[in-house]
Amino acid sequence: MAVSRRSFLQYATAAAVIPAPLFAQTAGARIVSLDYGLASTLLSLGLTPTGISDLADWDRWVVEPAMPTSVVDIGSSFEVDFEILIALKPDIILTTPYLDELLPRLQSVAKVVRLEIFTPESGPVLPAAIAATRKLAVELGCVQEAEAFLAKSDAFFETCRSRLAGRNPPPVALVNFMDARHARIYSNPGLFHNALERIGVRNAWTRGSNYWGFETIGIEDLSTITDPHARLIAFDPVPPDVFPKLAQSPLWNGLPFARPGHLSILPPALMFGMVNEAMRFAGLLTDLLERDA
Amino acid sequence: MSILRRDMIGPALIVLLLLCVGGAASWLLVAPALSATAQPNYDVTRMVLYYSTLPRLATALIAGASLALSGALFQQVLRNPLADPTTLGVSAGANLALVVVSLFLPGLLGASRDLVALLGSASAAAIVISLGARRSFSPYSLVLSGLVLSLWCGGLSAILTYLNQRYLASLFIWGAGSLAQQSWIIPVSLLWKLAIVAILCTLVIRPLSLLDLGENSSTALGLRLVRLRFVVIAGAVALAAFVTSAVGVIGFIGLVAPTVARLAGARRPAQLIFWSPLIGAGLLFVADSVLQLAAGELGDFLPTGAVTAIFGSPLLLALLPRLKIRHRIQQSPVRQPSRRWTGTRPVLIAAAGVLALVSLSILLGRGIDAGWTLLSGEFSYDILAIRVPKILAALASGAMLAVAGSILQRLTGNEMASPEVLGISAGATFGVAIALFAVAPGLLGQFSFAIIGSATVLAVIFLGSWRSSFAPERILLTGISLSAMVDAVVGVLSASGDPRAALLMRWMSGSTYLVDTTTATVELGAAAVLITMAFAARRWLDILPLGPSPSASVGLPVAKSRLVLFGLAGLMTAAATLTVGPLSFVGLMGPHLAREAGMTRALPQMVGAALIGGGLMVAADFVGRTIVSPYQIPAGLVSALIGAPFLMIMMRKKA
Repeated sequence: MAVSRRSFLQYATAAAVIPAPLFAQTAGARIVSLDYGLASTLLSLGLTPTGISDLADWDRWVVEPAMPTSVVDIGSSFEVDFEILIALKPDIILTTPYLDELLPRLQSVAKVVRLEIFTPESGPVLPAAIAATRKLAVELGCVQEAEAFLAKSDAFFETCRSRLAGRNPPPVALVNFMDARHARIYSNPGLFHNALERIGVRNAWTRGSNYWGFETIGIEDLSTITDPHARLIAFDPVPPDVFPKLAQSPLWNGLPFARPGHLSILPPALMFGMVNEAMRFAGLLTDLLERDA
Repeated sequence: MSILRRDMIGPALIVLLLLCVGGAASWLLVAPALSATAQPNYDVTRMVLYYSTLPRLATALIAGASLALSGALFQQVLRNPLADPTTLGVSAGANLALVVVSLFLPGLLGASRDLVALLGSASAAAIVISLGARRSFSPYSLVLSGLVLSLWCGGLSAILTYLNQRYLASLFIWGAGSLAQQSWIIPVSLLWKLAIVAILCTLVIRPLSLLDLGENSSTALGLRLVRLRFVVIAGAVALAAFVTSAVGVIGFIGLVAPTVARLAGARRPAQLIFWSPLIGAGLLFVADSVLQLAAGELGDFLPTGAVTAIFGSPLLLALLPRLKIRHRIQQSPVRQPSRRWTGTRPVLIAAAGVLALVSLSILLGRGIDAGWTLLSGEFSYDILAIRVPKILAALASGAMLAVAGSILQRLTGNEMASPEVLGISAGATFGVAIALFAVAPGLLGQFSFAIIGSATVLAVIFLGSWRSSFAPERILLTGISLSAMVDAVVGVLSASGDPRAALLMRWMSGSTYLVDTTTATVELGAAAVLITMAFAARRWLDILPLGPSPSASVGLPVAKSRLVLFGLAGLMTAAATLTVGPLSFVGLMGPHLAREAGMTRALPQMVGAALIGGGLMVAADFVGRTIVSPYQIPAGLVSALIGAPFLMIMMRKKA
């Protein structure tokens, strides 16, 4: 997952060789993002998007980095409000394969940059996100910023790894509770799974999942996790009736997670994001494990 | 004596058979855990067996019994073989209440989940039954309004979920009824609730049996009808609410179990009420354990409730021919409107109204700062290019649905017939679902599949009604149960998390979002050609309602003209469903409003209906586009939210 020296050099040379004027036109370009992960990557590259989709829920799912107040909400990514999109006069629209059916219409509005992160073919999500970040940087002409950002993220992961290295961190299972009986669990090849690998924490849930990296399970399936030291990490928002209901379940109380200190709640982090979201998750988890270990 | 024994043996054999099959399937589930060697301290296999697998099986048994008892009680007290918590809308009402509360008042759910569900299902039951009471509990009108209410509640729950919980599909799981358990709390609490209602049942069984004698005789025997009905219905509603609150919506068990009991030979009310819960328990037990085995094989999450609905709704269809219609609806004399509008004036007024709506819709929108803005400035042309196709497609679809509705109402002689209610739209939806999941989706491909789907439904209705000489009740119920089945299929797909389900969901909710110039042109072209053909057939439509022999005697080819007109209605429905989805109810409202305005003959009614239907759809599109801008609500859903209550008010008025 690390930035290999070779790829760094490749991009560095590319940045040096390709004449600057080619990129000059995209500086100050009006960019619209139809994906949370791409939007937060933009911020990290020092670019503020003109508009993003689903802005109303940004603070509920992404939280960090904060979206500047100048950004305009263009509706749900499924049903982008084209009237507002056009009025924003974007130069570039960032999209993902998930929204391919909008592609022809987006192309009539502005130049479309389509980045593949979550597809059946793209494999582990974090490397795909890093590759997408580089591709985005080439398109936008900010390769240096991107490499700096990726180097920073790499250093961040490395710090997390070394902070945890001496503490022998327990394996963790990552879930979102859907109700008192069902949960969504995150595993290979998902973004959070890759982040775990990167910071040297084992995922307690070893079964692979769909290419988004999640699986819907009944809570009894958590019993298939056999490691007695495993920790259960649940992301906010947890529906209010989940823990009272679980406390009454002998099965739950029999699971290793029900023992004190084996269940923690993390603030929301976006599981369908990119490098920033992996960093946020890694940071939150490292803080948690360091505090509790 | 021998009759008595046959009464007992049939149902008992069925129960035994179900328990054997379910037992075998659940043995396969349980056996690996039992054969594992016991571990001294922390034995997770045993824990899962004791606190997940076994409680789940118990929940299946108890929930099945509760729903079946609820269904049997409903059927007995309403004297309606089609009544059950699903067909009366009781389960969907509970579900909607739970969705609303969990989204807006989540704090309430912890303590008073049951109460919320009870409130929802009681309101649903009150609405449906008060409608039914007006028509002296005609079986058909009860179930029809119940299923319409079900679809309405389901649609509203879906849109609320869609707008609020993009990443967590939990409410879909709930709506689709999953039986997964982690403790004995749910089965145990359900058990004592079931026990209380069961005890209540034994107290009312005798008076309940007297109901079969008819109202007058039973009143003469000293029965307090109103009080008895209230108590029994309250018990049945409570059972359905408790099950929905505990595990979600489990479809059609309450309908299937009493029917199986009756087919197996149980006849008297006491027998039905005794055997139905046992059979229901067995049915859900078998369904869930087989489903668990299958899900294990597929490695997929399958919600039990939606699966039972998929298998249950065809049974409803199969049962229809057995439905004895005890309360035939009196054909109400055609009300002569006080003011008979003739000539072109009303048409001109309606046309002017539609024109005004269309221009308003084209000119007005919401801007970047969410303020209302008139179309102006540099982007006028681009915004027009976005808005106009949507508006025109909505107009064309609304008009086609309304004309199709007029044709169907005239052909079936039933004021409640419409493409949506007849299930033609559901057929088209089914076609598109197959197109999306089995074949690559292209507009033309989707269109042909939609046509094949609606043509199939039309053929089924046509053939079925050929024999029953177009008994309107039967046709309507066929259609609405087809809609329920499509709904269940979509429920399974969306709970499974397949991304294509989101596409199908959006399509079902009738979003004009993907309409572009090509689609709009196709829709307008289809509307122009098909509606002209319908206008050309006005003579047939004026004469056919008089009946087959008068029509034949004036030289009308009855069979041929019916076939042509049905085909025309099917084509229009398929074309319209492609843009506004299957549940808009415009095809019902358009012709009805036209008739209310005094346009009673075929041509004026169709013209009026087309204008009104088109106008309604344009208005729905406008509201959906602007009300929560920049987010959008599908036009089909907006019009369904207006249309379903409209349908029910209409049924009330016609009483």
